[in-house]
Amino acid sequence: MDQPFEDVWAEWEDLFGQARQTLASLKESQPAHVVQAGVSALFRTTHTLKGMAGMLGFPSFSRAAHRMEDIFDLMRKGRLRSTDSLVETLEAGMQALESGFEGLKRGRPEPEDYLQGLRRELGELEALARPAAGESQDLSALLDLPAEPLKALSDYERTRVTSALMDGLPIHGLAICLDFATFDDRLRRFSEGMARQGEIISTLPWEVPEGREGLAFMILLAGSAPELDGLATEPGEILEVRLLADPEWVPKSLRAEVGAEAEPVPAPATEAAPEPSPALPAQETEILRLPAQRVEALEARLMSVAQMRDALSGLLRHAPPAQAEVPLGILGRMEEGLLDVQKALLQMRMVKVETLFSRIEPMVRMLGRDMGKPVRLTLQGGDLEMERGIVGRLAEPFLHLVRNAMDHGLEPPEERRAMGKSETGSLRITASRRGRIIRFDIRDDGRGFDLAKIEEKGLAQGLLQPGLPVSQERLHRLALEPGFSTLDRVSQISGRGVGMDVVREEIEALGGEILLSSEWKRGSLVRLSLPLSRVVVGCLKVRSGGQTFGIPLANVLRVQVGHVVYRGGDRVQVLGMELPFESLQVCLGQGDPPEGQRAFVVLSQPGGSAGASFEISLGVDEVYGRAEILLRSLPELAQVPGIMGGSLQEEGILWVLDPEAVLGLAMDSLMRRVAHA
Amino acid sequence: MPDDGILLLARASGRDLLMAASDLLEVLPAGPVTPLPGPLPGIAGVVLYEGEFLPVLDWGALPGAGGEVAGATSMAVLKRRLALPLEFLSGALEGGREGMRIEPPGEDPWAPFMVCACAIEGPALPLLDPDKLIDWLHQRRTSR
Repeated sequence: MDQPFEDVWAEWEDLFGQARQTLASLKESQPAHVVQAGVSALFRTTHTLKGMAGMLGFPSFSRAAHRMEDIFDLMRKGRLRSTDSLVETLEAGMQALESGFEGLKRGRPEPEDYLQGLRRELGELEALARPAAGESQDLSALLDLPAEPLKALSDYERTRVTSALMDGLPIHGLAICLDFATFDDRLRRFSEGMARQGEIISTLPWEVPEGREGLAFMILLAGSAPELDGLATEPGEILEVRLLADPEWVPKSLRAEVGAEAEPVPAPATEAAPEPSPALPAQETEILRLPAQRVEALEARLMSVAQMRDALSGLLRHAPPAQAEVPLGILGRMEEGLLDVQKALLQMRMVKVETLFSRIEPMVRMLGRDMGKPVRLTLQGGDLEMERGIVGRLAEPFLHLVRNAMDHGLEPPEERRAMGKSETGSLRITASRRGRIIRFDIRDDGRGFDLAKIEEKGLAQGLLQPGLPVSQERLHRLALEPGFSTLDRVSQISGRGVGMDVVREEIEALGGEILLSSEWKRGSLVRLSLPLSRVVVGCLKVRSGGQTFGIPLANVLRVQVGHVVYRGGDRVQVLGMELPFESLQVCLGQGDPPEGQRAFVVLSQPGGSAGASFEISLGVDEVYGRAEILLRSLPELAQVPGIMGGSLQEEGILWVLDPEAVLGLAMDSLMRRVAHA
Repeated sequence: MPDDGILLLARASGRDLLMAASDLLEVLPAGPVTPLPGPLPGIAGVVLYEGEFLPVLDWGALPGAGGEVAGATSMAVLKRRLALPLEFLSGALEGGREGMRIEPPGEDPWAPFMVCACAIEGPALPLLDPDKLIDWLHQRRTSR
């Protein structure tokens, strides 16, 4: 895909991400002006999406975005009230657009109507908000303003004036006069301060008083008279505060008429005397959009600087200690600085897992409602961070897995009741990190995979050999085979879009793996394990067989260096346990160290299948320190069993062990020793 | 016949060979290769390239190895992210295979990862197929 398109997709992803957040915030109790700002942001987002889609030649997407834009427009004009059910419909609409966007990214053809599944709900909203024939309210004439500034109000601002008055909110005006030199900054500060007190409807040019120089403005605020204390004003800036319109001035007949037609938003109690509310989303934060290649180039450049630093450090180590001490100290600090910059660069690529979760929550709610299956959704690990690109590519497989769990896994309430289960199903999605692996577990307490049926189909489709025993694991994996028939699993919900084989393909393309397991009538688990391409890991540094290795500190229980020489297969008394000893060299296929080893690390892998940890004494030649390192993955062609990745260090490449894999290799080796004994 | 553009003439593992320039990212001076901490068929180790680890081919693991091999002076980086150590790079042929004598790989030990054998005059030289080479390496990994 060429770069310009990647930029566009990235921008769309941002827009959808912002829309999700804003929609989620609409469900929280907030002052009306904050809700208004959110709705306006959504209106702008859908407007942008519409324009971009049209420009890129996706007319169907553009139409759908236009329809959503219209609904947000109706909301911001006060013709639709922000309720939970409305927000859920809008979430579903944005979700449909976002799924469509994922399809466009993959080059899929456009559907006729992205919002087909929501046709009824959206139609009802549009009908509800439609004005009576020929009717168009405009109460802006009630504003106590001269004719010229009044003319400057846009249609939208007039609508907002009308809506605020109909909602029982007064309109206040704050006239200010600002110096030429600083007016832009001061005006921004005034606007921010006012926005915390109510909805700013407009900022109109105002007449500069005689004898003054500068620029004057009238800020129109829907709400009580602005409190000037919080505005940090400077002497002479405030010209006047005045009431421009009061709801009491609206003719009673008009209030009744509009009230019957448009269901205006009742003024929340807090609006009469607005409390200082959290600032609106920081609009002044400057967002830089950079091609990923630029960050990569910077990382590569940083790496070469690190190499130069290492070369210099190597030279200094041959210098007399008295001369080398100070420069080596400076180089040490330089290394800390370099690692900080590397971490910062790494951070630029990362997003929280909750951005993925935020797409799941509304979908589960909508599916639960549509399918009549009450679900308790638990999401854990949203604070973990992953590379943005990976999160983007995970969205569609994830949504498919969740749809599957809802549709095929969880039983209808009556079936659950008959089985003695709670009527409310459970869907638990957890993210956890293990070294450089991010693991997602998607568990449901539904009916599990019907392995008998899978076996039957596997045999029928020639994927299994008749008469041969087949493991549960193999049967579960059959569900991931391309072309594995799911005829009786197809439904309105999960029979469309990508299949399980495509989910597997996507996960494997990311260098990850997918594992399925289930217990009949008890539930299913889908486990996705995805490698992070770069991650900062705290490591214990050791030498073994002439090479240097890092062992993730999270897996190190104890380090011991003594006089006793150990050899592979020995038992070691340590930490009150008797642990088997195996040399790291042997684990990596390099043969037994002829002299044996005096140093070992107690390596632990917590949380095995039974929840218990597993330990071994891993022999090394030397333990020589600890460090935080930037771990880089090895490309597939260079992946060595037991090695997670590497990091460029002063002494060359430090290979970082994959503790779980090393424990497995050690156990294999120990079993071979027993077999050969 | 596909348009190969420019063909590079190089020597590796004691043999002359051809590579399509369009298959390469660049050719670099050879640097030290860090061996991997465990045996891996066909891979001599890794070098750091643009901040990432890049596997380096071990020509000695390919069939037909055993001739006298000089040290590598340069390294060709394939687009498919594999470095090929070269004893030297001796020239470039414009126009690809046009005007060349094309022969099937036949019994050449490198046949599993050749496009064909090509010659203007004299003996035909193997034209490397990076995709086949990488597939071959993958097969070696999985068949271990």
